[in-house]
This record gives sequence, structure tokens and C-alpha cells, in this order.
Amino acid sequence: MKIMNCPLNGPRNISEFVHGGEVREMPNSTTCTDREWADYVFYSYNEAGVVTEWWLHAPSGYWFIAQRHTVSDEVIRTFDASEMFNQRIDFEMPESVEGSL
Amino acid sequence: MSAITPQEFNKRSFIYHKLTANEYIEIADSALAVQSAQEQVGNSGLSDLSNLLRTGFRGLNAADHLRSADLPVPAKPNQVEVSANGELVLRLSQKEFWILANPNAQRAGHANIDKILAANTPKQQCFPLYCQDSHAWMLLSGKHLSHIMAKLCGVDLSIAAFPVGSIAQTSAARVNVIVVHHQFNAQSCFSLLCDSAAAEYLWDCLLDAMQEFGGKEVGILAASNVA
Amino acid sequence: MNRLNSPMGLLIDRSKSISFSFEGKQFQGLEGDTLASALAANQQWLMSRSFKYHRPRGPLTMAGQDANTLVQLQGEPNVLADRIAIKNGLIATGQNCNGSLANDSDSFLGHFSRFMPVGFYYRSFYKMPFSKYKDSWKYWEPTIRKKAGLGELDLTFKPEYYDKEYLFYDVVVVGSGPAGLNAAITAAQAGATVLLVEEQPVLGGSLTYHRFDEEGVQALALKEQLLTQVAQNERIKVLVNASCNGWFTDNYLPVIQGNRMFKVRARECIVASGSFEQHVVFRNNDLPGIMMSSAAMRLMKHYAVKPGDNAVVLTGNDDGYLTALELLEQGVKVAAVVDMREDKDIASQQCKVSLSAHNIEVFTGHTVYEAIASKGNKKVKGVNVRSITGQGEVSANGFKIDCDLLCMSAGYMPVYQLLCQAGAQLSYDDQGSEFSLKNLPAHLHIAGSVNAIHDLTAVLNDGERAAINALHNIGLALDKVLPSVECQRRVNFHWPIFSHPKGKDFVDFDEDLQARDIVNATRLGYRDIQLVKRFSTVGMGPSQGRHSALPTARLVADATDRNVTQTGVTTARPPFSPEKLAHLAGRIFDPYRRTTMHRRHLALGAKMMPAGNWQRPAFYGQAKDRDQCMQDESVHVRTKVGIIDVSTLGGIELRGPDAAELMNRIFTFAFLKQPVGKTRYAVLTNEHGVVIDDGVSCRISDEHFYVTATTSGVENVYREMLRWNAQWRLDVDISNVTSALSAVNVAGPDARKVLELLVDDIDLSSEAFPYLAYREGHVGQIPARFLRVGFVGELGFEIHVPARYGEALWDMLMEAGKAFDIRPFGVETQRLLRLEKGHIIVSQDTDSMSHPGELSLDWAISRKKPFFIGRRSIDILQAQPQSRKLVGFKLPAHIKVQDQPKEGHLVLADNNVTSKITGNITSCEYSPSLDMTIGMAFAGINQCALGDSIYIKVDSGELIKAEVVKLPFYDPDNLRQQM
Repeated sequence: MKIMNCPLNGPRNISEFVHGGEVREMPNSTTCTDREWADYVFYSYNEAGVVTEWWLHAPSGYWFIAQRHTVSDEVIRTFDASEMFNQRIDFEMPESVEGSL
Repeated sequence: MSAITPQEFNKRSFIYHKLTANEYIEIADSALAVQSAQEQVGNSGLSDLSNLLRTGFRGLNAADHLRSADLPVPAKPNQVEVSANGELVLRLSQKEFWILANPNAQRAGHANIDKILAANTPKQQCFPLYCQDSHAWMLLSGKHLSHIMAKLCGVDLSIAAFPVGSIAQTSAARVNVIVVHHQFNAQSCFSLLCDSAAAEYLWDCLLDAMQEFGGKEVGILAASNVA
Repeated sequence: MNRLNSPMGLLIDRSKSISFSFEGKQFQGLEGDTLASALAANQQWLMSRSFKYHRPRGPLTMAGQDANTLVQLQGEPNVLADRIAIKNGLIATGQNCNGSLANDSDSFLGHFSRFMPVGFYYRSFYKMPFSKYKDSWKYWEPTIRKKAGLGELDLTFKPEYYDKEYLFYDVVVVGSGPAGLNAAITAAQAGATVLLVEEQPVLGGSLTYHRFDEEGVQALALKEQLLTQVAQNERIKVLVNASCNGWFTDNYLPVIQGNRMFKVRARECIVASGSFEQHVVFRNNDLPGIMMSSAAMRLMKHYAVKPGDNAVVLTGNDDGYLTALELLEQGVKVAAVVDMREDKDIASQQCKVSLSAHNIEVFTGHTVYEAIASKGNKKVKGVNVRSITGQGEVSANGFKIDCDLLCMSAGYMPVYQLLCQAGAQLSYDDQGSEFSLKNLPAHLHIAGSVNAIHDLTAVLNDGERAAINALHNIGLALDKVLPSVECQRRVNFHWPIFSHPKGKDFVDFDEDLQARDIVNATRLGYRDIQLVKRFSTVGMGPSQGRHSALPTARLVADATDRNVTQTGVTTARPPFSPEKLAHLAGRIFDPYRRTTMHRRHLALGAKMMPAGNWQRPAFYGQAKDRDQCMQDESVHVRTKVGIIDVSTLGGIELRGPDAAELMNRIFTFAFLKQPVGKTRYAVLTNEHGVVIDDGVSCRISDEHFYVTATTSGVENVYREMLRWNAQWRLDVDISNVTSALSAVNVAGPDARKVLELLVDDIDLSSEAFPYLAYREGHVGQIPARFLRVGFVGELGFEIHVPARYGEALWDMLMEAGKAFDIRPFGVETQRLLRLEKGHIIVSQDTDSMSHPGELSLDWAISRKKPFFIGRRSIDILQAQPQSRKLVGFKLPAHIKVQDQPKEGHLVLADNNVTSKITGNITSCEYSPSLDMTIGMAFAGINQCALGDSIYIKVDSGELIKAEVVKLPFYDPDNLRQQM
């Protein structure tokens, strides 16, 4: 069984982790085209190379990010999500909508 | 026979239906098994401490909150320190802490650390946690701690790899469990905290794994005599 | 008893006699004997019959590495007689024979081998031409299986206790021959913790049976020295009788010993698994009495059993000469040594000289062309020797030598299985005619004869070299330099294959495959080694190609004009040796969760059912009374008061300044202005716009929400919340409090009356505590959260309390409810009640395509907010023409209960079985309160208006017509839940 290094808990059997899919940037959901949105929702890059993925250490409920080579299945680096996401993200009101409940 | 039974309290352990103990004491408005039905203590023991008090805090101000109550703050996640009154202070992440009552509380008198903490909780960034109810607390004592856990858990919990003061948040017998290596009456032991709804399951798994070492359920008074 | 003198017999205890039976006959053996060695000591050489031709077979390797000694024990088939230790009272029989082992009436099959080529059974019987049997394989298969089958299962056997244990070591050494021992010692002396795994009962590997020098003294002295060092080092943990059965990523090694599977994690792994001695392919090379030289050595040195009285040694290396010397020393007459090599290729002429001194003839450049059998092929009685004239070719005439033992030494094949599983590649050296391993992954090392090192000094150095490499990886022994390892010794004869026109020249003993079977496979077009394997079944038997892989590679290479490296061997997969399912399954962990009220449900006679990993009451009563129990319970809730344990309902707490903001982004509804003390229905869609969960949101304070989720969905909802907020960085704390709260729903017209007996600190009146409100108070002394809910469509209070109070809460409510005839109801009853109300259950009434529009949940979606998960997808989906919709339906009164549709039954567009499928049934049940059968179904967009008809194809294949009706079925104005 593979070992993965959790940034919080150290090296653990891969069975303690849950894969969360690639880290992807969401297009602006109010201004992007239908096609751009469908690309985001339905298509994975499935790159033969290094991908950046969400992983959850299930026993501690800790999400982190891993860089993994999809050909060799080598996990190159794991790190806390704050390294990539360190700013509060807000959404803007679509122009067509006025006021809020 | 003891006059006290678990059922006479509204607050009951998640495991009490499994217990074979014949003597309980009253603690924190509930019954704590102190004397096991079996007189003879083998060389590993399992005790139910679910009814002992525990609390937890999460947030950027949680560490300061503990300090203001004169509790020690472990330097890094997955470490445990013992307070002057014998409480176990667990650091589970950068900003999450659990405080477990002194397992010897029935001798020392129960400290009010939970009430002190509750009364002074900062308004911001310090959220009390529900570990009293979300988790059961079992104490594994005796010689074969790491051997027993090796039959259930894929993390190396040998003394060399997992010294006193360590915490492992892992999976044992396929349920999530927090394993805490601390001392109880100067003996190494493991506190196990697991999902309260899966506590009966894990209790049985542990007893099964202990069988080859002659391990069995013990009351908390006997736990420190298991050698 | 006829045994050789000490020091022969390393494994046996001569003072302890053991009696056992084989084929109904009583035998005596010694403690430490395997069944095979004990039988051999009794001159019982016939132990098994072959798979296809039922040919007599005896010991081949004496190491548990072949299928020639498979026997049947009571309760266990296919046991290796050269592996299983005897004990008093053991009862064994031969298997795969028709009649007795000695007189197998199916042995005539061998005569037909010419007409039974590879693939015979399958090609002849699978679709038999002109057969009156349409499915001829079904007809013939049982007969064929009987002819070609293996042992018999005892279906009455009682399972034993098997379990698993994790082990963690710095260095794991697989194999305890000289290389493995020296590697383990080197590693442990440098400070590493070491696990040494040995398949045999004692450490030492080849040191326990092989003869390394002419005088025959080297092995014993070296073994004593190494074993002493192992015993003295407490950092070395030894597992004997243990098999490392696979290699998995990051040195994760399953090691089986007895009834336990160790899951070993090694930082560094050294494989010193040695090599398998190889046989020579010639006619009748499978007769009992023909064995590997190493098998004869093991019989003598391990068990003090004389392998025969009159031996011929057939060799392609110097080891055969050493075997001959050992046989001589133990009183076996050696009739001749037949060496396939030319005289010039013999490395140690000294051995030859020594043999000559004993008047033993050595025929170089010769081979055994055919073995001559005693009556019934039971034993070898002589060999026909010819001179070799070319690759696989022999002279027209030869001579005969009588013998009752033939020892074969054609060379060695590395025990490559674990290494190839790890990704190493085999390459063939034409000079040495030998496979070796290349491209090992990091942290995996190799030493000894598996590394093509065959000189004892070099083997020891190779063990040290591997250990130092491993130590360097973990930061130990950094000052130690690697010893140089050199070995010029050649051990493999390049072509030990001598096909005979009459066949029976076996390449694979397990599957009775002859040299021509392999060659024919290539002629039929199966040129790739993998295809040759699948077509001919070579290497598929229990010994998995340990002896057939090398000759097959050579034969296929030769037949297809490629070199042996290009041809290669077939993929090695775990397990290395057959393992029991019990080892994999034994003491499997299957977690369950129980609510705090579990014992109370059992006491009330609940029929429990799984809900995710929870145990929940389905209803209270016997399984056979399901319908009646459900109907009674549901009417009771509608007319009086019922109580249901809803502790398994998911619970998530959101606290902090951004709690409302997170709610607003995660769920479809608007939550920023949800009033404190109110609840609100919460629907969750994924990014595809599909409804994936729902629950109730309670606003406890401005910055505190408590939101429920479905039993099976909460884990995912919680994880997704954590993940989204790992990106959004909102100021909010998220907790999964599912297990922290026990909960019940007290529902029915008398629900308020029950609670009024127990709740003092909340005004429960409908004015003060209206429908959809949230309150906090106490039930007796127990702190509780109260939710006015309407899931089952009656006046109802959900009461959530800290889990430690759950059982007491149940007891108090049941006690107080006695005055109002309170009755517990189960999950199945709750499903009926909510169906009467037309409430959906996510994942029962929805599927992986259901968007809110299809479920008529548009009302639960707020578009007046900037974002929620799935919003853009919902917009896109809603803009498209809708194809289906979830509707309520009722069945005509004449449809009987047993004919009513089930979940999953198809909905058709028209009253015609060939018409288009438009949807499916999601829920359907008889409602006693309405006295009709009702349900919900996905229906086509053209048939979902009130009064439309849907056509349901039921189990019988018939169509049932149902009418689309308005939801809810019961109490359409929702007055009862607001009482």
C-alpha cells in the first residue's frame, strides 16, 4: 500500500486519505459562457505529468493539496491549502439581480 | 455490590451496556466503573472513561484561552501535555485543542476546569467542541499497548516511533480514532477517542485483539495495576 | 526405521515417533517430518496423480515449490505433502484419482495424449459440432472437471480464527540463506531493526542442504557462525514457516505465518529469495524417483531419508558432482554421472577426479533421453543415455543404465516473483544462459543467487553489499564502503531440453504440458509469451512457472526466432504461493454504528435494518408482519402519537461571523436573513446542478447555524463544506456533530400533550412555538433543542439532545407517553408517512441526474444571491426543455398489493410494452390512511399533468396504468402539521 505524507499527521497509509479531484480555478459563474462552465464542470485535464490535487486525511478531517505525477504515481509534495488559498474569496452579485432576501 | 448503577443517571456512557463491572462511583452526574467483575488483572486492560469530563476548543484564540486558564499548550499538533492538575491537553491541529479530565479524578476530586473554560470562552475565534458527546473515551493499559494496536491499526505505535506525549489521529479497525500516549500512575497507556456511535464496535474489536495477551475489561482503579 | 545417521536429519527428532495414515494405510514418521519425507522414508514414492493424464507423481523439489505432491487432508484439499508437517492421527489421501492413488482407472488418459493436444477439452467440447446439445459445454463440463479436477472441499468444515497484524521494520530481509543472513546481520549491527522472513522451518536456506565443497564441511560451519550472530542480535526478529507472498507499493509486504497475515511495512527491503533448481526436459521426466538434485539433498540432510539405492545424476553444472559425492557418502550407489556439458566446460575437474576414485563413470556430452518406468509408471527403473549432437539433438543410439533415483541439475532460475511485482525486469544473459534482474525500484535490494551470484564467498559479500546500500538510504553505516562482488561461476546449461517423438517430455508438470505443446502453441500463432500461457495454460498451475518459465521462454524464443530476453516470462502477480481466502478475509473489520437508544429498540422487538453503517429499526415486529406493522404504526401516528429515533440524521454546526454566508453559498435557498429561532428547508446541489442532499437549517443565533443532513449524506456534505472553505477562507467554524446529538421525532396529534408533561421551560402552544420554529429548553433535566417539523405530516417535535442523554430521553418520553398510548415507529413506517405527504427522500426519489426543476423544488432556490454551488448549472439546465418530472400517482383500486409496482420499475410513454421508456418508479406503498396504493415516479414531460396516465411495467411484464395526482396525497392543505 502506498504511503502519503500528510502535512498535519505525517506519513500514513493511502487508505487513510480520500481523493478530492484536481484543484481547478472556477470561472466567474455569472459572466462565463455556457461552454466555459461545462468545461469546468465536466472535463478533467487528465494530464500525463504533475497534477495538483485535493486530498483529505479522513481521520482528522484535514484537506490539503498534493502535487502528484500521474505517470509514476509519485507524490512530489504535499502542503497546506493556505499556501494556494490565502485570501478570502467573495462572489459578486450578477447584474441582472437586484436586492437580496 | 455497589449501590450505584449506570442507569440511575440521565447521563450514560456509550459503552455501558457492554461493561461487566461490579462497582461504580458517581462522577460528573454519571457512573464510572472502578472495579471490574474479574478480580484477576491480566497484563493488559481496557477501561471505559467516557463519563469523565472533556471539552475542546477550536479557533485562532483557542491556545490563548487555554493559557489564560493556566493550562499547558503543546508546541505542535499531535502532541499532548499534562496540566498541574493532571488534565491531558491534546493539540490536534494548529488551532484545535481538547482537554481531558485527569483519569485519576475519582481520587483527586474532580477539577472544574471545564466550567472555568466555559465561563471565559472568548467571543471570537474560539468555539467549544462537542467531544464529550461526539467521542467515547477508552483507556488501554498494560504491557502490550503497541502489539494490541498493531492488530487494528496501520500506524507504527511502538514506543520508539510513538513516545509518551504523542498523538496519532488515525484509523483503527476501520473507524477513526485519536490515540494518545500518556502516563497514568507512572505507567504508559493509550487513551483512545472514537466516534461515540462506533464505541461498542471498537470496544469489542479491542477486547478481541487483547485476548491473546490475556487482556480484559478493568475498572479504572485497577487500570494502573495492570502490568 | 530406515534413516541415515546424524548429522543428516536436521529437522527431525528421532525420539518422537508419529503415526499417520495415507491412502488408508498406517505409517510411522518422526516429529519434524513433512508428509512427503515420512512417506519417502517408508518407500512410498507415489504421492499424487497429475492433473490431466493422471500420471503417478512423487517428490520433485521437497521444498513445497511444485504441484507433484498435492494431497487431500480431511477438510482441506490441495495440500503440499512436502510442506505440511505430520502429526499424530493425520489422515491424508491422494487426490485427482479415479479409484485409488495406486490404481487410477483414469490413467489410461495418458495413452490418448496424442489426441488431446493443448486446448483439447475446450476446443472439442465448448461448441461441439453436430451436437444435439445446444449448450454442449454445460453438458460436458462436469465430466471434464471430474477427470481433470483437483481435491474436494469439505462443506461441513468449521471456520478457524484467522487474523492480521501490522509490523514495522527498518529493514526486511526475505530469505535466510547465506546472503539473507549476512544482510540481516550487517543491517542489525549498524543499528537497524530487522525482520528476517524464512519460508522453511529453520534458518539457513541452502546452507541447510546444499554441498558447497568437495569435503562437504563449509556449509555447516558457516551456518553455525551466522545463526549465532543472528541469535545474539536482539534487533533481528525472525519469522520462520512464513511466506512473503507479495510486494506492494512502498515496501508493503504481506507475510503469512500460520493463521495470521502480517502486513509488514519496511523502510528498506532486501530480497534474498534464492533460486529454483531447474529440471531437464526428456521423455518420462516426471516419474517418481526423478527429482531435483536439491530435493535429494533435502531428503538426506533435512530428513535423513535415503532418496534411493542406485542413483544416476544428470547435470549441467558442477553441483551435480557434489550431489553425487553426498549420495556416495550416505551409502547410495551412484551408477553414473551424466553431464550434458563437454568435458572442457567443467569448472572443477577435481570433483570429477574424486568420483573416478570411487569408480563412478562420468559421461560428458551426454544426456538422459528417456527414463524407463517400472510397471504402471510407478517408479523410474532405468535411463536411456545418448550423446548430445546439437541443441536438443541426440545420437540415434544409446545405452541403458539401471537406477531407482535420477537427480537433475540443469541450472537455476532466480526467485524473481516479488521483484518483478515491484517492477524489476528480467533479462537473459546468453553467455550464462541465465535470467537476471534489472531496474529495481528505490528501497528494494537484491542479494545472493536471486542476483545470479552462485559462489559462496561472493554470496556473503552480496548480502553485505545489499545491506549497506539499504543502510545508507536510512542514514546508517554511512562510513561503510560497499564490498566488491564478483562471480564467474556458471551454473546453467544452455539447452537442457530433449524432445522425444513420443512425447511425455514434460515442461510443466502441473499442467502435463510437453515440449511440443509449447511449440505447437507458437505455430498456431500464439507467439507472445502471454498468449502462449493463456492458450497452453503453461505456468498457470499451483507452482506458477517456477520450473516451466525458463524452458518455455527458451522454447518460444527458439520457435519464434527471437532471443530469450525478448521473449521473457509472463507477469508475476501476488500471491507468490497459494493463500487461503481465510487469510484475506479472516477477522475482517466491518464497523457498525448504533444510536444510544439501540438497546431499547431491541427490547421492543424492532426489526433492525442497516442505514449506511448505522443500525436502525425498520419497524417494530416480525419481518413476516412487515406490511401490517408499518400500517398499524402509520395509523397510530396519524391518530395518536408515535416516536422515532432519528439520531442517525446528520448534524453540522456552523459558527462564526460568516456562518450565514457559508450557508448561503452551500445551499440553494437564501439564508442571510433567516430569522433566529426559525428553521428553513435546505437543499444542496453539486456543481452539476444535481440535488445531492437536503436537511433543515436552524438559526440558533446570528452567528450560529445547526443544519441537518441525510444519514448517508452527512459525511460528504461535511467534507465538501470543509473543502470549499479551504478555498473561500470564510470566518466560520464547521463541525460534524452527528454522533454528538441523539434525537427523536415525537409526532402525532397528541405529541404536544406528551411533551407538556416533561417540558417546563418552553411554551409549546402553536402560537408561541409555531410550525417551523426552533427553541431550546429542557426535557426534564436534559438540555434539548426543539424543532417543529412536518416530515411525516403531523404535529411533530424533533428533540435533539447531547448523546450521553439519548437513552434517558427515550425512557422519559416512552414513560410520559404511556398516558397517550405512545408507540415507537420505524424507518419503513416513516417512509410511508412521508410518501403520503409527497416529501422526497434524496437518493431514493432522486438519481444522479435529478436537478431541482425535475423535483419541483424551484421554490427552494434563491436567485437573489450572488452564488451557490450548482447555480450556473441549474440555470443552464432550466433553460433547456425538460424531459421528465417527479410526479405522484395512485393505482386503480383493483390492483392487488402483491401486484403493485416496485421501486425501479419502468414508466412507459404509452399503453404498449414497446413504447418509449420515460421514467421509473421511485417509491410505491399501500397507504392505510388513504386506502389506496400511492407512489412517486419520474414520468415523461408529456404525461405529468394532473389526470394524465403513466404506464408501469411490473415484474410480470404486464403494464399497469396509474393516474398522475396532486401532491401531497394526504392532508393537501398541510393543516395537520401546523396544529
